[in-house]
Amino acid sequence: MKNAIVSLVLIGIAAAIVWHLIRAKQRGETCIGCPYAKQCGGKCGSGSIAADREKHS
Amino acid sequence: MSPFTGEESITSSYVMQENPDVIINIVDATNLSRSLFFTTQLLELGVPVVVALNKSDLNEKKGTKIDTEALSQKLGCPVINTVSTAAGGLKAVVQAAVAQAKGAQSVPPYLQGDIDLTDKAVVEAADRRRFDFVNRIVKEVETRRVFTKDKNFGDKIDAVLTNKWLGIPIFAVVMFLVFQISQVWVGTPLADILVGWLESFQGWAGGLLADASPLLSAILVDGVIGGVVAVVGFLPLVMVMYFLIALLEDCGYMVRVAVVLDPIFKKVGLSGKSVIPFVITVGCAVPGIMASRTIRNERERRATAMLAPFMPCGAKIPVIALFAGVFFNDAGWVSTLMYLSGIVLIFLGALLVNKIAGYKARKSFFIIELPEYKIPSFWGAFKSMCSRGWAYIVKAATIILLCNMAVQLMQTFTWGLQVAETAQASILASIALPFAYLLVPIVGVLSWQLAAAAVTGFIAKENVVGTLAVCFVGLENLINMEELVLLEGAGAEVAGIMAITKVAALAYLMFNLYTPPCFAAIGAMNAEMKSAKWVWGGIGLQLATGYTIAYLVYTIGTIVTGGPLNVGAAIGGLAAVLAMAGVVITLIMKTNKKLKEEYALSSAKQITVQIGAGS
Repeated sequence: MKNAIVSLVLIGIAAAIVWHLIRAKQRGETCIGCPYAKQCGGKCGSGSIAADREKHS
Repeated sequence: MSPFTGEESITSSYVMQENPDVIINIVDATNLSRSLFFTTQLLELGVPVVVALNKSDLNEKKGTKIDTEALSQKLGCPVINTVSTAAGGLKAVVQAAVAQAKGAQSVPPYLQGDIDLTDKAVVEAADRRRFDFVNRIVKEVETRRVFTKDKNFGDKIDAVLTNKWLGIPIFAVVMFLVFQISQVWVGTPLADILVGWLESFQGWAGGLLADASPLLSAILVDGVIGGVVAVVGFLPLVMVMYFLIALLEDCGYMVRVAVVLDPIFKKVGLSGKSVIPFVITVGCAVPGIMASRTIRNERERRATAMLAPFMPCGAKIPVIALFAGVFFNDAGWVSTLMYLSGIVLIFLGALLVNKIAGYKARKSFFIIELPEYKIPSFWGAFKSMCSRGWAYIVKAATIILLCNMAVQLMQTFTWGLQVAETAQASILASIALPFAYLLVPIVGVLSWQLAAAAVTGFIAKENVVGTLAVCFVGLENLINMEELVLLEGAGAEVAGIMAITKVAALAYLMFNLYTPPCFAAIGAMNAEMKSAKWVWGGIGLQLATGYTIAYLVYTIGTIVTGGPLNVGAAIGGLAAVLAMAGVVITLIMKTNKKLKEEYALSSAKQITVQIGAGS
C-alpha cells in the first residue's frame, strides 16, 4: 500500500511540475525561475530597473 | 519620439499607431526641464496625457517646489505628484487617467509644425525652440533652492566613487563585502538553520517510508527531497545577496559602477552600455543578455550578449558557495575571485572577439543619467529580495526537482530498466562517462559523478549542486555546520568523498562558471544575436574559455602546490587547449586576410576614382 502511495506521490509531483511548466509557457513566461520575477512582466530584461535607467541615456 | 533601440521603436510605434486611450507620462520631477521635452512631443499626438511627477519626495527634501496647478494649466493635462517607491499618488494618477480617457486632449501647448526631418540643422533648430519653450515653462512653475550647477554632497561622494583611480578598487571592496556578508557573515548561519529544518523534514519523511520499498524510498527521500534540500539550503545566501544588490541599486551606486568601468570597456571595443547587461547578469544571465538590446551597434550588442554569461549569475551562487564553503575556509575571497575572474574574462574575450570579427577601434560616447544618492529603502530591498527568492524557490520546486528526479531514476536503473547493482552500471554513469574523460585534465580523476553534474548544469546551474548531492552519497549535508567544523582546514573528508584535491575543486568550479550557461541563457543569446554564426561562436568561445581556464588552474595549481599531477591527462588537456587555440588563430588569420583584401580593393577603387577624375 505504501509503495503505491509513494509511486502516486512521485507521479503526482512530476505531473504537477510538467503541468506548471506548460502553463507558464502558455502564459508567455520566457524565463521560469528568473530572479527578476515579475519585475519584467515575463519579458525578460525589457523592464528591469537598470534597463529602464539605460533607456533614458 | 525618435527611437534608437528596438524596444523604443515598439513603444513609439504603439503610441503613434495603436491610438491608446490615454498616456501616463512619468516625469522625473528632479529634472523637469529635460523631462518635459518628451511630454510636449506626446501632447502633440492628440492622445490624452496624464503627467506623473515622480521623485517628488526628493524635491521636497531639496526644497524644490513645483506649482503643479500652474504646470497643469500650461500643459493642458493633469499633473500629479508621485513617489514610485512608496506608491504615493498612484491612486490619483489612475483616477486621472480614467477621467482623461473619457475625454479628449486639449490643444497642445507647443506645435512644432512640419519640418524636413532629413535636414540635421533644421531638426536641431526645432529642438532648440522646443527646449526654449520648455525652459520658459519650468522657469515659471519651478522654484529651486539648490541648482544643478551648485556642488552638493552627492558631487563630493561622486568625486571619490567615480574617481579614475579609486573607482575600481572601491568597486572591488564593495563586491567583496557583498559576498563576505551574503556568503559568510550572515548567509551561512541562516543557511545552517534552514538546512537543519529541511533535514529534519527529510528524516521525518525517511522514517515514514521506513517499511516501504527501499528503491521508491530512495528516489523520493534521497533523490527528490535530498536534491531540493541541497539547492534550497543555499536560499539564504542568495537572498542576502539579492538584498544587498537591491540596496546598492537603490542608493544609486550601481549606475556609478557603469561610469567607472566605461573607459576600460571602451578600450576593449565594448560599449559603456555593456556594463548594464553585465551588472544585471549578476542576478540572472537571461535578462542580462536581453538587456544588451539597448546597445545600438550590432557588433557591440552581440559581443556583450556573448560575454555577459562570464559574470557568475545568481544560479551559480550555490555552486560557488558549495565549493568555497567545503574546500576553502574563507568563502568570501573565493566568490570575489570568481567575479573578478569573470570581469577579466570579459575583457580578454572582448579582445578576442575584436580580433576574430575584425574590429577597428573608433571613438564612441557614453551618456547615462546619474540618479541622486539617497538612503536606500530597506522595505523596497526586502520586497525585491522576497520576489527574487520566491522565483528561486519556484525554480527549485519545478525544473531542479524534475531534473533531480530524472537523475535519481537514471542513477537507479540500467538501460534494461533493471535496478543497477552498482552505480557504475546505471544509465547516468554510462551517459556521463564519455564527458568524464574530457574532465580528467581538469580534475585529475575519472569521475562520472562530476561529469553528470556539469552536464545537468546546462539545464540550470543549481543542478550541479543537486546532482552532486544525488550522485555522491553523503554530500547532501555539505553545508551542515557540524560537518563544516570537521571539514575545516584540509577538507579531507569531502575530498575523500569527491576524490578531488582543492586545486581540482577550484578548477571544476571555474569550468562550471565559465562554460556556456543554462539553455535558457543560450536561447536568450540566440534571440539577441539573431545570427547562428555568432551564437555558435559564443558557445564555442565559452566552452573553450571555461575548459582552458580550468585546465590552467588545475595544472599550474597542482605543480605549484606540489600535488600529484596526472601527466598523461595533462598532455591530453594541453593538446585540447592547443587545438582550441589553433582554431582561434586560424579564424583571426582568416579575418586579417579578408580585411587586407578589402583594404586592397578600396585602395584600388580610390586610385581608379582619382584617375577617372584626373582624366
